[in-house]
Amino acid sequence: MNFRRIKGVFFRYYFVLKKGPQQLSDLFYWPLIDILLWGLTSVWIQTQSNASNFPLLLMTGLIFWQITWRGSVDVSISLLNEFWHRNLLNLFSTPLKLSEWAAGVILLCLCKLVITVLFGTLAVYILYSLNIFQIGWAFLPFAASLLIFGWTLGFLSSSAIIYWGHQIEALAWMIGFLFAPFSAVFYPVSILPAWAQAIAWCLPTTYIFEGMRHILSNGTFPMQDFLISIALNILYLFLSIALFRTMFEKSRSKGLARLE
Amino acid sequence: MSPVLSVRNLSKVYGGKKPFLAVGGISFDLKPGEILGLLGPNGSGKTTTIQMLLGTLSYTSGSIHYFGKEFPLHRSEILQSVSFASTYTSLPYILTIEENLEVFGRFYSMTKEEIQYKTNPLLERFCIQDKKKERISALSAGQVTRLMLVKAFFTDPKVVLLDEPTASLDPDIAMDVCRFLLEQRDRTGLSILFTSHKMEEVMELCDRTIFLKRGKIIADDVPEKLARSVSTFRLRLNIADGLKRTTIIAEQRGLAFQIEHRSIQLSLDESEIPSFLNALMQAGVTYTSIQIKEPSLEDYFLKIAERS
Repeated sequence: MNFRRIKGVFFRYYFVLKKGPQQLSDLFYWPLIDILLWGLTSVWIQTQSNASNFPLLLMTGLIFWQITWRGSVDVSISLLNEFWHRNLLNLFSTPLKLSEWAAGVILLCLCKLVITVLFGTLAVYILYSLNIFQIGWAFLPFAASLLIFGWTLGFLSSSAIIYWGHQIEALAWMIGFLFAPFSAVFYPVSILPAWAQAIAWCLPTTYIFEGMRHILSNGTFPMQDFLISIALNILYLFLSIALFRTMFEKSRSKGLARLE
Repeated sequence: MSPVLSVRNLSKVYGGKKPFLAVGGISFDLKPGEILGLLGPNGSGKTTTIQMLLGTLSYTSGSIHYFGKEFPLHRSEILQSVSFASTYTSLPYILTIEENLEVFGRFYSMTKEEIQYKTNPLLERFCIQDKKKERISALSAGQVTRLMLVKAFFTDPKVVLLDEPTASLDPDIAMDVCRFLLEQRDRTGLSILFTSHKMEEVMELCDRTIFLKRGKIIADDVPEKLARSVSTFRLRLNIADGLKRTTIIAEQRGLAFQIEHRSIQLSLDESEIPSFLNALMQAGVTYTSIQIKEPSLEDYFLKIAERS
């Protein structure tokens, strides 16, 4: 892999990002709207039910889910950007390798994520006097695990998009929501029906969100949950990248030009 | 001299319920410093061939070698010295000229300083230097086409693939682009594979021309020879007196002709022209104007396009 080319991909999307409010809304506007809506709802529920840590659980879940969501959307939207700008042929007729493209996108995704999470955390602290970092150092490995699953979802949707093109571009936004109910983001897995629980325990995100609630309730780090989530993450990320590469080759056999 | 690009038995079959042969076993070489025209009617396989040469479309069988190296195996290394421009692709419209060129330069492992050093003279050459800070969306189609040429040439390529690079340009700018391509070839010795529907441009630019039809090469020669291979000269006369006598003489000699008002157009070999005009003179035919048109590549193009 050539770092200069990876940097080229980074700048390709960074230049788009710095162009104005529409691009920046993903970083600030939508997270803030989520925080306001869910925060106020949870404060209201707390006043009704006297559940003291409910807002913190909800807010932490919300910020954490943003990590997965951002990871997923950033990968697939970067690919869609090339379709929308009729730039796919230009991009892949250069020395750029698919792995370098993916690395550049992931690099930008990391930067955007740090900004979104810091902004979200600050907003929650200012608005509700809640400290998301209350879960302590566990925040970092949990965030990393969630982010990796986000990339997995991103490569999964990109695999379909690179082959079928514009007609399924909505998948870029839909795929995260498809997995959210099974990931037990805002509620414990135990409230899901048995069949849904079977699916939930196959997802690395479930272990993270269960672990997060465990820390907030008991104060201890659920090492086993974390290790299972990392193992599942590595497996799924590897499979999703392999699928993306396969679908890219299949698409190339039909011609990338047809996607523009 | 060994070729910079060598294509052997290259084929592309699109699968599906009804397999379709887009390119069927073509072979050709591109020599160092050569400008090669790839021509043919719509659907003949030109763009498919260019896409395979760029690696954005995989081929079914055959081989592509650049600089003696097999393309799919050394794709990234080879594309470091190969570039591409087409009227039919664009660049991210939200980015400025400067930003787009910076991104592409980095794909060719260039530093920001190198990119500026290489792009400034080309932007100047194509009169878009003052638009450097403007977004692509603010440029005219012609300016985008010129920018695509800057993109294709600032990385110091050894081979440039151009898909109808002058299609959206005004005639004077198109002519300037042709001059630029010749200058670049003469200065750097690069090789160019060029598709165009403007036959005059091809005649002026190309050292050699390949004609494709239904995915097969049907001719590979210098443009002038191809033009003369199918077409005869065209003689147009505005007859003042003796139109009937002219048609009789033409029929006697077995010449094809068309009449429009007082004007007659005949197709004949170059060597037949003097004797035909002499025959008209002896028959007392008078004409007010005479036009003789040499066979052109366009004639060849039209001829092969009409053959089913």
